[in-house]
Amino acid sequence: MENLPWKKFDPMNISLKDAIKYLFLAAVLIYPLFAFANEYVLHVMVLIMVYMILAMGLNIIPGFCGLLDLGYVGFYGIGAYTAGLLTIHFGLSFWVIVPLAALNGAIWGVLLGAPTLRLTGDYFAIVTFGFSELVVLFLTNEIWLTRGPLGLPGIDPVIINFSWLSTMINPEWDWYWEFLGLRPYFYLAVFLVALVYIIMGRMEDSRLGRAWFAIREDPIAASSCGVNLLTYKVIGFAISAAIGAVAGAFLARWTMFLSPDMFKFWESFLVLCMVVLGGLGNFKGSLVGAAVLIALGEILRMVLPGLGLPAETRFLAYGLIMVLMMRFKPMGFFPNIATQSQNNPILIKLKKELGSSS
Amino acid sequence: MFEQQLINGLTLGMIYALIAVGYTMVYGVIQLINFAHGEIFMLSAFLAVTFITVFGLPLYVVILMTMGCCALIGVMLDIFAYRPLRQSPRLAALITAIGMSIFLQNLAMIIWGSRPKPFVQEALPSFLRTTAVTIGEANVSWLQMSIFITASTLMIILFLIINKTRVGTAMRALSQNRTSAALMGINVNRVISFTFALGSSMGAVAGIMVAIYYNTLYPTMGYVAGVKAFAAAVLGGIGSVPGAMIGGIVLGIAEALGAGYISSLYRDGIAYGVMIAVIIFRPSGILGKSTVEKV
Repeated sequence: MENLPWKKFDPMNISLKDAIKYLFLAAVLIYPLFAFANEYVLHVMVLIMVYMILAMGLNIIPGFCGLLDLGYVGFYGIGAYTAGLLTIHFGLSFWVIVPLAALNGAIWGVLLGAPTLRLTGDYFAIVTFGFSELVVLFLTNEIWLTRGPLGLPGIDPVIINFSWLSTMINPEWDWYWEFLGLRPYFYLAVFLVALVYIIMGRMEDSRLGRAWFAIREDPIAASSCGVNLLTYKVIGFAISAAIGAVAGAFLARWTMFLSPDMFKFWESFLVLCMVVLGGLGNFKGSLVGAAVLIALGEILRMVLPGLGLPAETRFLAYGLIMVLMMRFKPMGFFPNIATQSQNNPILIKLKKELGSSS
Repeated sequence: MFEQQLINGLTLGMIYALIAVGYTMVYGVIQLINFAHGEIFMLSAFLAVTFITVFGLPLYVVILMTMGCCALIGVMLDIFAYRPLRQSPRLAALITAIGMSIFLQNLAMIIWGSRPKPFVQEALPSFLRTTAVTIGEANVSWLQMSIFITASTLMIILFLIINKTRVGTAMRALSQNRTSAALMGINVNRVISFTFALGSSMGAVAGIMVAIYYNTLYPTMGYVAGVKAFAAAVLGGIGSVPGAMIGGIVLGIAEALGAGYISSLYRDGIAYGVMIAVIIFRPSGILGKSTVEKV
């Protein structure tokens, strides 16, 4: 437990770079408490955090295990609808719903992963893609359960109920709970991001994380060292799916409305962009990737209508970013240390001379 | 009703087969799932309508011109997006292909708008919508007849190119072993470009056919059609051209019958379901050879 961030924190001996980092983080955390905090900015910040969770979760598969998962949005959708339906029909608390959604995500992860994770890269990508399309079709067509294209409105948004406080202390304080608005979601999202971040950090350092890296770098060598490829891949896939489902569960309670359109393939692609931009195999990079791409998307969303283009064309920029990334920085801006060795110029030259067989 | 569904399915299947050969040839030669192939199919429909409305050209000329343009787009795609990544990991090339697909789709949205458009009816001979023959209780329209005839002709031509010409031999050699092919004096990049051109022009014809058949075109049409064609390629055995043809026809019929007898809501789901099942249980497909996995 020595290398947890707060254990390393030593206020007497802190570099300028770290000081700026901590100050920025503190500013972001305190910002919503001010009355001048803009609702729109808060909304974007919460959205960024939802995608941070998704990007960290997805990174396990392409970044750590070296497989392309194009169906991540399927687990996001499963988590969201699980949470939404449980809230509407049973009125369960958020803290009960999140583990249930994660469990449901993990179950589907195992159901999909166990038979398909034997497959090689391209085939696996296609199977996961088909899975996410089937999830969208299910959500659209099973009207008795999901109301189909009409969407699922009226999900109780209350996560922390303040009304008892208000009646107990002073009913006149209602304005304060109104002022809070999105703020509880903001802090809840911060909590979830921090939770996933810590879990990811612990996993990366564990036996599990090392097994994944071994599988990504050389599956044959890993399996001859006694790493059971399928087991570790399925575990990774289930964890990744569960994290996606948690993001979905949060989304359901935050937006109060779900529709199958929210879980189309584009979302998978967007999350993949974040992972690749931030660096394959580096979950801290995923945080940066999510923040950059969502902020860029919001800027484009404001700029594009001015140019007379539909806001959806921001995907044009995303597509181009992906192509250029793969061309010039295939491992992202902050690659994992282990993959940096792969980008060693001597190794690349050697690979070119021998002809890449992978 | 059964005969009618069968005829409709066969028509669709012919179209899927035409797109699927594009996927399967590219996969056979460079082991890349060219996700942007569906977008070339979509671009062809828009280009055809543009040629008709702007230049007022007859349909036959437009089809040839669109084939040429799409072949060019396919070659450009290879040169600018895929060629720099020949030595990179497979993951990078696959992500680039998805990136190009999204890019082209949104480019089309900017150029032609995101709303569905009807095909230019004036450009079509009026007899196309009338019944050509009646088999049992099923009516086959002239349009369906033309689709059968055009698609079969194209496939025969394709078959001849692949099996009887020098460049076809080079393509087959490349799909066996790229390094040895290069050692035998084959210009690898030129053959790959030719493969893209050939596949894209087949996809172009399919794009125009679908636009006429459903009388609608929209920027996202390449996405679903592309996935189904890929499913067809997988079903037939990816890398195998006759497999893609058979896979397309089987998938088209399965889809039409499934939509007619099981549930029309899961029409697209049948293709995905077939694809997942085939990949899990028989990754080599109907005609594919089971290859030893290269590491």
